Amino acid sequence: MNAIDVWWSVAAGSLLVGGLGPALVLAGSGAPRGRIVGLQLAGSVTVLLLMVLAALLDQPTVLLLPLVLVLVSFAGTLVFTRLLGPDP
Amino acid sequence: MTGSWIAVVLLVIGVLVVLAASLGALLLRAPADRLHLLAPVTTVAGPLIGAAVAIRLGGITVIAEAVLIVVLAIVAGAVLQAAAGHLLVRTGEEEE
Repeated sequence: MNAIDVWWSVAAGSLLVGGLGPALVLAGSGAPRGRIVGLQLAGSVTVLLLMVLAALLDQPTVLLLPLVLVLVSFAGTLVFTRLLGPDP
Repeated sequence: MTGSWIAVVLLVIGVLVVLAASLGALLLRAPADRLHLLAPVTTVAGPLIGAAVAIRLGGITVIAEAVLIVVLAIVAGAVLQAAAGHLLVRTGEEEE
């Protein structure tokens, strides 16, 4: 593993721990409606993490995962905002 | 080789933005304040990391895919932030 790959690995690890960690804490604590912030952060960070992993593994086909995740997490989070809203 | 190091620089800056936003969101109390810190993740870190990935992997397909992911993330992030903000205001939970 050369120096450039080390940097990419460190970046992936940093995103995993420093990005997803706080997102999971935010999504797992507090009032239900406040947890939406953690959910959104987790989705965004995971998209970036998957892109970094695709580059680290030199597998361009893996970029399909963050592309699908963006769309699916968008729809899923919107469903949560709808369901957590006050009853009409 | 220079391109590889340019990609690393872009990647590191993008990751630092994500770490700062995540840590800031963790330290803030009010959900509405936390919501503001989601924007840098998609609008600043996203393009930086997308550019780094495009430079590293190369190829027109990869560049197009990276651009598509970043643009979708920015648009989706903005819509979700607005929806979440609307939810918090409607339910009176923007302040803790």
